Amino acid sequence: MRNDDRSLWELSEIADAIAAGRITSVEATEACLARIDLWQPRTNAFLRVYKDKALAQAKAMDAELAAGKRRGPLHGVPMAHKDMYYRKGEISTGGSGIRRDWRAPVTATVLDKLDAAGVVELGFLNMAEFAAGPTGHNVHHGHCRNPWDATRVTGGSSSGSGASVAARMVYGALGSDTGGSIRLPASACGVVGMKATYGRVSRAGAVARSWTLDHVGPLTRTVRDNARLLAILAGRDPNDSTTSDKPVPDYEALLDGGVSGLKIGLALPNDGPAPLEAQIGAAVQAAADTLGKLGAKITTATLPDFTALYRAAEVMVKCEAAAMHRPWMEKMPEAYANQVRTRMEAGFFIPATQYIDALRLRAHFVTEFLETAMAGVDAVLLPAIPFPIPTLEETDTETKGGPAVLKMVAGFTGLTRPFNTLGIPALSVPCGFDSNGAPIGMQLVGRPFDEATLYRIGHAYQGATDFHQKVPA
Amino acid sequence: MDDKTKTAAGIAAGLQGLSYDDKRLAELAAEVDILNTAVRTAAAQRLTFDDDPAAFASVLMREAKK
Repeated sequence: MRNDDRSLWELSEIADAIAAGRITSVEATEACLARIDLWQPRTNAFLRVYKDKALAQAKAMDAELAAGKRRGPLHGVPMAHKDMYYRKGEISTGGSGIRRDWRAPVTATVLDKLDAAGVVELGFLNMAEFAAGPTGHNVHHGHCRNPWDATRVTGGSSSGSGASVAARMVYGALGSDTGGSIRLPASACGVVGMKATYGRVSRAGAVARSWTLDHVGPLTRTVRDNARLLAILAGRDPNDSTTSDKPVPDYEALLDGGVSGLKIGLALPNDGPAPLEAQIGAAVQAAADTLGKLGAKITTATLPDFTALYRAAEVMVKCEAAAMHRPWMEKMPEAYANQVRTRMEAGFFIPATQYIDALRLRAHFVTEFLETAMAGVDAVLLPAIPFPIPTLEETDTETKGGPAVLKMVAGFTGLTRPFNTLGIPALSVPCGFDSNGAPIGMQLVGRPFDEATLYRIGHAYQGATDFHQKVPA
Repeated sequence: MDDKTKTAAGIAAGLQGLSYDDKRLAELAAEVDILNTAVRTAAAQRLTFDDDPAAFASVLMREAKK
């Protein structure tokens, strides 16, 4: 028996119901708008809500469907996205004050793909300034707040994406991930987030944080929803030369394989930038036990020392960010939040040889990881965030200066950033709640372009647990 | 001002046309020193003449699950 409140349905359910004529796109859109009215004041997840435009779009989708035209697998489904995906002629702030009124000259490839699939656009979502920040703080547009506890962070930089999906304001949202920015908010807000293989999803028309480390991907309520979205988003794009022409699987069709026979390496590292707190380790251990009961073979995975890899990633992102932001940093440094500007400044001082060596090291780091931690296993299971979700106040480094910012960022991203440098897929799935009642997320990490196995494991896990069905009150 | 901070000051003013106070220059020098040392050490352990940055994408394709 489905809940009468259609905002609580899952993306794939709502898409199938619209396609079958059981509900209309207008009804789904109105349900989301009602939910936004309730939750936006509590979360500040949206930067702009396109109420009238979305309703008009939904009405047009219903008319098309009545006339026998279905655009694609998400015909009439309302979504919203991190405010860094360009739509030609429309404002795109990138979470910044600098681009508060800037209008995009092109439309992002991923938005084109969602348009073709039939998505209704509800608006654009809060995010860390220029996608730089793992907490959800934003001094220009107001901090984004966790729907489970408004005093706590959402995770970032895709803060509004995590909060809006968790609060059931949207059925799914695009995020982006340079050091954990999809998986951190997914984990902190209790939703599913996929950072696919580097090159799997086009970055064209998205604000860059670091061209070599940025990954575009979806946040959803369930693994099934995520699989459906990634299949739409993925694939070669002539506008992004780093995209792969490798065929895109039908991820949703591969979900039901179960985990019997799969080998999963469990890693509970306690030597990262922040220690692994016991309750987080216990939740991920319990997830491993659940997967074991479902038939997976659980082994212990030993992660390599990520220190050099982490530092190499910092070199890449600082140099690239400094290069792209230099004109604004010279002319109006005060226009940036301190914690955003200070993280980029080291990029002006790092020798080019070090940046190039960081790039050259990536191939070695990937090979080493695959030959060690992933040897003999289909996936590695580890926490996404090593500690309970902190409060906004505890993580506000805006006035504390450079070293405090670096320490805070390293603590959040110690277990996520390595997989941006490695370029391999990583899926965050809810696996419990901490002692404060905030969500805990686990990460599943796979071989290059093997998102399907991660979805298969995550889907089996969600079939045996109900963490993803809990809704913030 | 130590040597590394003086070097940072020289880069900022002489090469990049940027201005920072001494405290910030010291922080930046320390930050860059950590990053440079880590990459330089990792590079010395792993890189050879023929290592190409573009090898990363090739490795992902080669190691993709068949």
